[in-house]
Amino acid sequence: MSRYFAALTGPNEIGHSSAFWASFLLVLFGFAAYPAFATEFQSSNVAYYLLNIPLALGLCLLWGYGGILSFGQVAYFGISAYVYGIIAGNMMGNSWGPLIGSIGGLLASAIVAAVFGYFIFYARVQNWIVPILTLVLTLLLETFLGQTAGYQWRVGVVQLGGYNGMTGIPSFQLGDLVFFGYSFYYYVLVVVVLTYFACRMLVNSNIGRVLLAIREDPLRTELLGYDIRARQWSIFVLASVLAGISGILYVQWGNYITPTQVGLAQASLPVIWVAVGGRDSLLAVAISTYALNWLTYTLSSAGYQSALVIIGFLLIIVMLFFPRGIIVTIARAAFWRRIAERV
Amino acid sequence: MEGVAVLFSVVYQLATNASFLLLAGLGLIVILGMMNIINLAHGELMMLGAYTATILYHRGVPFPLTVVAAFVVVALAGAVLERLIVRRFYGERLGALVVTWGISLVLSQGTLMLLGPFMPSIPIPSGSVSIGQYSFSVYWLILTAVTALLIVALGLLYNWTTIGLYARATMQKPDIARALGVNTDRIYLLTFSLGAGLAGLSGALLAPTVSIAPFMGQQFIAPAFITVVVGGATNVIAGALGASALLSFVKTPVGFLLGAFLGNVALLFAALIIIRLMPDGISATFQRWQDRRSRLA
Repeated sequence: MSRYFAALTGPNEIGHSSAFWASFLLVLFGFAAYPAFATEFQSSNVAYYLLNIPLALGLCLLWGYGGILSFGQVAYFGISAYVYGIIAGNMMGNSWGPLIGSIGGLLASAIVAAVFGYFIFYARVQNWIVPILTLVLTLLLETFLGQTAGYQWRVGVVQLGGYNGMTGIPSFQLGDLVFFGYSFYYYVLVVVVLTYFACRMLVNSNIGRVLLAIREDPLRTELLGYDIRARQWSIFVLASVLAGISGILYVQWGNYITPTQVGLAQASLPVIWVAVGGRDSLLAVAISTYALNWLTYTLSSAGYQSALVIIGFLLIIVMLFFPRGIIVTIARAAFWRRIAERV
Repeated sequence: MEGVAVLFSVVYQLATNASFLLLAGLGLIVILGMMNIINLAHGELMMLGAYTATILYHRGVPFPLTVVAAFVVVALAGAVLERLIVRRFYGERLGALVVTWGISLVLSQGTLMLLGPFMPSIPIPSGSVSIGQYSFSVYWLILTAVTALLIVALGLLYNWTTIGLYARATMQKPDIARALGVNTDRIYLLTFSLGAGLAGLSGALLAPTVSIAPFMGQQFIAPAFITVVVGGATNVIAGALGASALLSFVKTPVGFLLGAFLGNVALLFAALIIIRLMPDGISATFQRWQDRRSRLA
C-alpha cells in the first residue's frame, strides 16, 4: 500500500505538499457534488470537457515524458470510437454489448498503433519523422472515413455514413445499468480520475524513469542495457489506448461521430492542450485540457467562428513566451519562491 | 503507333505523378534541407499562393503573371513569419513543428473566417493533345516541364551563385560559416522565404487542377511530407528526385487500378517500408554509396 502511495507522490509529477493533496481532494469533491447544483445539460457539458483528458494524458506521456511527438492521436480516438460504434451497434439489445464494444475498440487502437509503431520505432527514425507519419495516418483515416457514405459501407447493421457520420451509437451500459445524463457524468469522472492516477504511478515507476532517461539521452540509456525501441513502442501503444478511451467516451456521450473528429483541426487540439498546460506535468495537461475545452465550447456556442483561430494564436504565443507551458511555468515560479523564502 | 501511345501514356502518368509530388514538396524540401525544420504550415502557404493567383486571375490578370505574383506574395509572408516566429525555433525541431502547426491553424481558419468557404476556381489553361486513342492534358505536360525547370534552377542557384555557396556553407557548418563572415541569419531568412515562395508558386500552379478552399492545403501535405520523409535531409534535391520517382512508381499503378485514395494509402505504406529499410531516407543511403565508391576509386 505504501509503495503505491510512494509512486503517487514520486518526483516526476508536480504537487506533493499536504496543501496540494487537500486542494486536490477539495476539487474532486467539488466535481462529485457538481450535479447536485447543475442541470443535466450542464453536467453533460462538463462531462465532455473531462472526457478529453485521457487523450491529452496519453500525448503528455508520449511527448512530455517520452520526447516523442505524435500529431496523430486523434486517429486512435477515431478508430476506437468507430469500432465501438460497430460492435455495440451490432449487439444492440444485448446488455453487455457496450462493454464488449469498449474492449474491442481499445484493442483495435492498440493493434493499429502496434503495427504502425513497429515500423516507426524499430526503424529508429529521427524524432521529427514520427509526428509527420502520424499526421499522414490521420489524414488518410479522415479521407477513408469521408468516402464511406454509400449503403455498401456498412458492417453488419451499422452504416459508416461518410461525412454524415455514424449515428445512433449506443450509450455505455453494464448489465441493466445504463449510463446517461448524471450517471454518465460520474462514470466519466471515475474513468478520468483513475486514468490520471494510473499515469501518475506509471511516470514514477521504473518504466517511467527509463522513459525519462530515453528522453534525456537515448544513446546512454541504450548503453545501460535498455531496449529503447521496445520502450518507445510500448509507450506509443499505451498513449493510443488512452486516446481510444477518450474516443469511446466521446461516442458514448454524443452517440454519434463524424470523420471531422479525426480531421486536421481536431488533430491539432491535443497538441495545443498539452503545449499550453506544460508537457512536463500530467496535472497541468489535465487542467489545460479542461480549461481549453471549456473555452472552445463557450466561444463557439456564443457564435464566434474564431474559436480555432484564437486557440491557434494561443499555441503560437505559448510556444514563443512559455515554451514549458503556462501552468508548469507558474507552478515552478511558485516552487522557487517558496525555496527562496526559506533561505 | 498503338505501342507508342501506350508507352507515352505510361510515361505521362508516371511523370505527372512525380511532378505533383515534387511540386507539393518543393518548398518544404528547401526549408528542411537548410534549417532542418519541417514547416507544417506548408499546405497553408500553398493555399495562400492559390488564393493570390485565383483572386488576381478573376481581376483579369493573365494566369502566368498570377503565378509569379503568388511567388512574391507568399515569399514576403514567409519572410514575415520567419522574422516574427520561426527564427526563435532554430535547433529545436519539435518546437518548430508545433509552432508552425499553430501558424497553419491560424492561416486556414483565418482564411475561412475572412474569405468564406468557397472561391470560384481557375479553369485549366490550354487544351489537350491526343496520341493514338489517348488524350493528354497540355497543362500537366507544361507543369512537368516547369517542375523540371524549377529543379534545374534550384540546382544552379545552390551550385553556381555566391548566395548558394553561402547557403551550402551555412547548411554544413553554421558556426564556421559565421566565423568566415557569412551572415547566416540573413541566409536563414532568405531560405525560409524562398521555401515559402516556392510553396506559393506550387499552390498557384496546382490551383487550376483542384478546388479552391481554405483547407485545400490538406490534400498536398500528405504527399509532400511523404516525399520529404522518404527523400531524407542529407542531400535534399537528390533525395526529393529519388523519392518522387520511386513513389510515383508505387502510386501510379495503384492509383490507376484502385483509385486515388488507395494510391495515397499505398504511398504511406511504401514510405513506412522504405524508412524501415533506409531510416535516414534515400539521400543518406545514396550519399553512403557515393562515399564508399569515392573511397574505392
